[in-house]
Amino acid sequence: MNTTTSPTLNEPAWFRRLLIGAGLAFLGLFLALPLAAVLTEALRQGVGAYLVALQEPVALAAIKLTLIAAGIAVPLNLIFGVTAAWAIAKFEFRGKSLLITLIDLPFSVSPVIAGLIYVLIFGAQGWFGQYLFENDIKVIFAVPGIVLATVFVTFPFVARELIPVMEEQGTAEEEAALTLGASGWQTFWRVTLPNIKWGLLYGVILCNARAMGEFGAVSVVSGHIRGETNTLPLHVEILYNEYNFVAAFACASLLALLALVTLAAKSFVEWRGQAQRALAPIALPAVQPST
Amino acid sequence: MSIIIENVNKHFSGFHALQDVNLTIPTGELVALLGPSGCGKTSLLRIIAGLEQPDSGSIRFNGEDTTRRHVRERGVGFVFQPYALFHHMTVFDNVAFGLTVRPRAERPSRGEIADRVHDLLKLVQLEFVADRYPSQLSGGQRQRIALARALAVEPKVLLLDEPFGALDANVRKDLRRWLRRLHDEIHVTSVFVTHDQEEAMEVSSRVVVMSKGRVEQVGTPDEVYGAPATEFVSRFLGSVNLFKGRIHDGWAHIGDVRAPLPHDADTQAGAAVAHLRPHEVSIADSPEGAIAAGCVRGILSIGPMVRIEIERDGEENGLVEVEMVRERYLRSPLALGQKVFIKPRNLRVFASGAG
Repeated sequence: MNTTTSPTLNEPAWFRRLLIGAGLAFLGLFLALPLAAVLTEALRQGVGAYLVALQEPVALAAIKLTLIAAGIAVPLNLIFGVTAAWAIAKFEFRGKSLLITLIDLPFSVSPVIAGLIYVLIFGAQGWFGQYLFENDIKVIFAVPGIVLATVFVTFPFVARELIPVMEEQGTAEEEAALTLGASGWQTFWRVTLPNIKWGLLYGVILCNARAMGEFGAVSVVSGHIRGETNTLPLHVEILYNEYNFVAAFACASLLALLALVTLAAKSFVEWRGQAQRALAPIALPAVQPST
Repeated sequence: MSIIIENVNKHFSGFHALQDVNLTIPTGELVALLGPSGCGKTSLLRIIAGLEQPDSGSIRFNGEDTTRRHVRERGVGFVFQPYALFHHMTVFDNVAFGLTVRPRAERPSRGEIADRVHDLLKLVQLEFVADRYPSQLSGGQRQRIALARALAVEPKVLLLDEPFGALDANVRKDLRRWLRRLHDEIHVTSVFVTHDQEEAMEVSSRVVVMSKGRVEQVGTPDEVYGAPATEFVSRFLGSVNLFKGRIHDGWAHIGDVRAPLPHDADTQAGAAVAHLRPHEVSIADSPEGAIAAGCVRGILSIGPMVRIEIERDGEENGLVEVEMVRERYLRSPLALGQKVFIKPRNLRVFASGAG
């Protein structure tokens, strides 16, 4: 990158400092300060109290439920995202733009509405409420509902990340593999997957962060039963409302830690992905079969 | 392996890309599909490979119908235009790919694969790049690796899409000669697509000229250049000067010249157009047997050739290009503005509007 500063191309020094300063101030006010606040509040009564708060059975149950929800939602989204991106990027079919719109739907719908949809469908007064009640299946105010809501809100992450990557790569390598006698399965594992692995990992990291941090949709379907249907973000809210600040901030610090780990992992994956792309040949425009 | 293409039609969202294409490619030939972009040549190649399906018609390999057979089972080697090397694999793994994806029962042993890959790398003269990644190769090297990879599966047919398209002029020239020699060595039936008439002439033993989804002419390079079947072929294979005339009594009359009509032409009275290549023009100072008259507007010395531009009398933008070797020009030099007559040494007449 060209880093020489030419006076003819740059803004005056005071203006640059003003812009950078504004950026940093913003970052400090909205990111660094809250993070510091979370940690100070969590440790206000010492490390002992902090650890005790985290070892409460209800806190452990919340952590467990969060891990279960993410553990189901992320693999599901991984499979769905790869298949959807594969279909959209490599094939031409009717209804393609409709599918893309549907994938984006969870981004445009408020998470609370998303949760409400499931209450309307599976809730006691919902479409299937009677049937579920008779067969003693609990969806709303139980773990399945939380998983469903999590899957819904994280739906677009993997697919959205992969579609541009796969579209940019075109189909030439896959076609080459087919002419060389590879089956569809071999082509996917040996050609497609290695080409998308960094994009895929990036999508999974973002998906996981969202799955663990989701509040709105999960809050609607959860029912807030302590030790049973509370995920970590919901648990934080309850503790806070009970003025149990140390425990609330201790649990919040876990989520903050998750955010920091996600950020680090995301940067690492971006860096590796770019390094790999730099190695890749210059992307030529996809060849249309119409010549 | 011979390839027979029968009545193939292909549409792409309303566009008729191939129209009733019939073509026979005999065993062991090196055939060029030549035409401007959008003429359907790449579509035809991809249909032969099985990467596209024709809307109607059939493809037969050695008499056997393969129209519905999966790409994987056709036994074609395909060299893609942007090479499509697997960029996360080394050159060795790229070339070995076709062998390593075979079912266990048919797969050669590790040692056999290694031997075969090294033989192929030797064939394309690139043994020393086995451990490199495609991104570390030059364009010409990538092209040769793509070829080695396609040959690894011992294809019965080799198909190449614009094999020299993305290379610079010198590398292209070397590779053309090299491909020609390679084909003499391995004799696999090969078809390549190109839009460059020089390339088609130089490399192939047979040229298929295509335009707007149709085959215009099939023949040896000499035939298509020397006896173009249609106006399109004549124009596409080199620059031509056009002269308008009339058909009358079964002859074409252009200027002072009476020329025979092509045998399939309509002999009724009508318009005709004559094609005359720049090197087929003689410059004379008397009007007998002249096709047109004009005056010299430009004389350009281009290395061993001299190009003379003559403006035709009474015609706007009627510039005629004449080319002759330097020695011949020096025997009877011209002056700018000089009045001259244009005489054809070889004239091809087409009924106007044909082709």
